[in-house]
Amino acid sequence: MDRIIATAEALWRMMRRIAEILLLLHWFNLLSVEGTRYSLPGKPTLTRCRSPEKETFTCWWEPSFDGGLSTTYALYYCKENSDTVHECPDYHTAGVNSCFFNKNNTSIWVNYNITVVATNALGSTFSDPVEIDVVYIVMPHPPENVGVTVLEDKGWPFLRLSWEPPHKVDTRSGWITLIYELRVKLEEETEWEMHLAGQQKMFNIFSLRSGGTYLVQVRCKPDHGFWSEWSSTTSIKVPDYFQRERSVWVMIMVSSAFIFLIITWLIHINSHSLKHYILPPVPGPKIKGFDKQFMKDGKSEGFFCDLVSIHFPATTTPNDEDLLVEYLEVCVPEEQELKMEDKGEDGCPKSESSTSDCDSGRGSCDSQTLLIDKCFKRVAPGLDIECSQTGTGANEIQDSPDVSSGRVKTWPSVYSPLSQHPVDLMHSLDKSKQHCLSDTLFPSDSSCPYHSHPDHSTNDNPDSTYWKFCFNNKQRLLLRPQMETQWQPHAYSEVNISATVRSSDYVEAHNISDENTVVLHSVSSSHDDREGTGYKYQGEDYSHVQRVGSDNVLMLQRGLMKEPVDTGFCKNQQANRAAGTSDTSPITRNQKPTVCNETTLSVNGPAANGYVDTATMFIKPTQD
Amino acid sequence: LHMRQSVWALVLWPSLLTASTMLGCRDDGSFSRSTSISQEKLLERVIHHAELIYRVSEESCTLFEEMFIPFPMHLQTNQAAYTCITKTLPIPSSRSEIQQISDKWLLHSVLMLVQSWIEPLINLQTTLDRYDNAPEMLINKTKWVSEKLISLEQGVMVLIKKMLEEGMLTTDYNDEDVFQHGAQPEMMDSVMRDYNLLSCFTKDAHKMEAFLKLLKYRQTDKYNCA
Repeated sequence: MDRIIATAEALWRMMRRIAEILLLLHWFNLLSVEGTRYSLPGKPTLTRCRSPEKETFTCWWEPSFDGGLSTTYALYYCKENSDTVHECPDYHTAGVNSCFFNKNNTSIWVNYNITVVATNALGSTFSDPVEIDVVYIVMPHPPENVGVTVLEDKGWPFLRLSWEPPHKVDTRSGWITLIYELRVKLEEETEWEMHLAGQQKMFNIFSLRSGGTYLVQVRCKPDHGFWSEWSSTTSIKVPDYFQRERSVWVMIMVSSAFIFLIITWLIHINSHSLKHYILPPVPGPKIKGFDKQFMKDGKSEGFFCDLVSIHFPATTTPNDEDLLVEYLEVCVPEEQELKMEDKGEDGCPKSESSTSDCDSGRGSCDSQTLLIDKCFKRVAPGLDIECSQTGTGANEIQDSPDVSSGRVKTWPSVYSPLSQHPVDLMHSLDKSKQHCLSDTLFPSDSSCPYHSHPDHSTNDNPDSTYWKFCFNNKQRLLLRPQMETQWQPHAYSEVNISATVRSSDYVEAHNISDENTVVLHSVSSSHDDREGTGYKYQGEDYSHVQRVGSDNVLMLQRGLMKEPVDTGFCKNQQANRAAGTSDTSPITRNQKPTVCNETTLSVNGPAANGYVDTATMFIKPTQD
Repeated sequence: LHMRQSVWALVLWPSLLTASTMLGCRDDGSFSRSTSISQEKLLERVIHHAELIYRVSEESCTLFEEMFIPFPMHLQTNQAAYTCITKTLPIPSSRSEIQQISDKWLLHSVLMLVQSWIEPLINLQTTLDRYDNAPEMLINKTKWVSEKLISLEQGVMVLIKKMLEEGMLTTDYNDEDVFQHGAQPEMMDSVMRDYNLLSCFTKDAHKMEAFLKLLKYRQTDKYNCA
């Protein structure tokens, strides 16, 4: 029985154990089941501890999951070298999950060891301990009273920032030394411009953008500690100072425009000189041998003789007396005029003037510079001057070269273009109004003003046809045999003008030597059958040159000439006058000092055709 | 029962753990020493503290002098109208004595000075509040000084402890009764008394600073030489 009872008790104990175990297991199950919803709280963590002024400090922690149950947190700390555990004196001042240490509990001499414990129904969880040295966790509040003003520095604005340390920080006694930092940016920008201000509480910012709005912030930091938070943003608008710049630009523009106008005006005034300076005028062409001065001297006639064959208008100068004897003018005026001219006792000039009505080229030959004290004979077409008795008829022209009868030897070159046909020559002569002794006739450069080719134009104006012979005093006398030979061919080659001319007795002044010698050339007046000669000489008024005296005396012969010599030939007149007396009358050289100056005539004796051949005259001074 | 108790104990073991961890500070002490503030740092802070105290006390004295003391009665730097309360303290007073004294005694002297001035300054605070036209700045300054003095005392004590832990001798200086307040001479005038107090304190604060700086120089020399 005892064994049965013992066994029963053992079984009963075992069952109780099993029941307890089961109960425990059940409880554990319960616990485990509830562990999904309830558990120990998570491990909190101390996030940070900060002291704003090195006299107090605050610690904050971060709770973890609470495990489904209400969890309480506690902060415990102990000071260095002390075993006393203290609990946080103030959980509320600094907010949730924080612990505030007041001044009495704060010591800068010792370190703090702080732990946060999370506790719920199931248990507690401890955080990691944190070592704290109050001096090194100082993080002040942001600076206060940040003020910004816009000031001007010589017209340019700048920002002046000023601030104050946080009021809790004792910087006056030096308990804490703060350094400041500020940042600036324009309102529309994204990046800040940082500036370190040191311990000063004022700062200047230059180089502002006019009209922009700037944002400013300041923060501070103790010697050992953390930077404070940025202060609240202070904004300021910079006034527009660009207008001041613009006024300067306006002034510059106005003054430059003014200066530009002045320069333009100056250039306009001096445009010509500038033009010449910049673009110098192209000099005219220079032709060798073209003497401008020669042109200016009025000897253009000779020049043009070379170049052009021009019909020069008659330009008779009133001062004919001063005119030279150099040129002969053969005019074919009206008989009445001739008569009147004959009556004129004046020298050549008058006759010239009388015949000035003729459309002759006389005027062109008139040149004061050609004034020579040479007498010349003016041969009018209607006037026959028989210079010499020996003047033969025109037919005898070709007797000898010397016999210039029928020939106008003095101007061979003149008639060079003329055909040798006497008739043609005559025609040409008639046509030609002016004939000048070309330079070729004489070796020296003659200053024959012009040389007119006898034109073959049918300018039949018998009345006014004339020819003018011009030569200058430079022309060598044709008296020289050499010269004679030179131009002799010319003479021959040329038309025997004189042949036709000789129909009327003319005395033609061939040449005026430089010795004031006039070489006269008598033209016979026996040719009446000339046609179109233009010579309408009325041989009555001519006088033959009988001979030439040795003293430059021209001996005219009255006789053949019915009419006295045209007044154009002063010598003739003189001779007429002289001859009027009886025979010859000496004509001194000086009788007509102007035009009808001395003439040394060499009368060609044999040339009884009535004209004086200069050559023959020369050679045979006095044949008669 | 024993089993039940053990079982229940087993169930309730988490709570035990929780309770045991409450003693973490003590555990911390094991590793907190390595993280304690070094002696040099401590000395720096103490000196800085003393400098500030001296500066502010000097400002307070000047302020008080300007406000309440007529010019002829101004005290010069070296003279005192009346004996200072700390005259009886065994602190070195001459240069030669200072050179002879050890570091410990130097620090001890500082501590004595500090401890002897805490209470008078608190009393001064009370006295100044009674003044009619005491400027607020003066009151604030004196208040500040008294607070900092207490802090300085703590610092000096920590410093001494640290120096003692490093093998320095210790003496029973916790006995604050050593300090004899001494018989306060009768003041003719409370104002003069306060003025005297402030001026004496200013001089003592300067002494504290000087001692501490001297101690610092000794320490650096020792470390540099070592």
